[in-house]
Amino acid sequence: MKRLTYLACTLAVSLLVAAMIGWSVAAGNFLVPVIAIPLGIVVVLACRRNVQEVIGDERLSKVRSKAALRTLEVAVIAGAIAAVILYSFIISESLSPKITGSVYLNDDGTSSMVISLYRPGGGETRENLIRSVTIPDINSMNEAEALIYYQFRREAFLENERNGIAGMTIGASLAALLATFGAFYLYYDRKY
Amino acid sequence: MKNRIRVLRAEREMTQEELAALVGVTRNTIISMEKNKYCPSLKLAYRIARTFDVGIDDVFMYEEDVDGPAGDDEA
Repeated sequence: MKRLTYLACTLAVSLLVAAMIGWSVAAGNFLVPVIAIPLGIVVVLACRRNVQEVIGDERLSKVRSKAALRTLEVAVIAGAIAAVILYSFIISESLSPKITGSVYLNDDGTSSMVISLYRPGGGETRENLIRSVTIPDINSMNEAEALIYYQFRREAFLENERNGIAGMTIGASLAALLATFGAFYLYYDRKY
Repeated sequence: MKNRIRVLRAEREMTQEELAALVGVTRNTIISMEKNKYCPSLKLAYRIARTFDVGIDDVFMYEEDVDGPAGDDEA
């Protein structure tokens, strides 16, 4: 078997196993990965054994280790920047939409509240107003009105929360990546 | 580090592919060594020297100004 055939075979097996795992998770059948993963490894190893050409040597190892190290460096720097920017959507006031509440006294003696949502970074002007909701009588707010207020507030900060979660996910992934690198570094440092 | 791989190979009418197979590396590694872009490990250097049936000093030449502490370690 030629090296290219082996690489094509490895790619095909990897894709097939990944698709089977994806399907089994979606279908709730957890027996498939238990069979598919070891079977995939066996097929790849069998293909590797039949390769007549040299698959890897010391130069390739050096190239791969350098490429991996550069990838790690770039990923850590770019990921840290992205994580901080995305997380600032949660903690920064200038990036969060502004919610204001104004209480009005009605003719019948009740108090109503107008809650308005404004674009981030702008003033409380009509141009910056995204939408508003009115609670007719705040002293006797019913469950439906409370739910509307809750939904209003939740939807207002939904995008910021999503960005923040994405930032935290990237940050946690980077920490895991660095921890894995550190563990392997210590292992090889002891080995050699 | 300079080397005489190309010369020794030509003297023995050996192709890069043949030498690569004999020392157990890819042809690209032989090409990189011949262009002085890659410095092999001591193990590989010995394998190459033994394949040509010469001493390691007859294949690889250490140059103090390039390979010394102040030189570039990449090649």
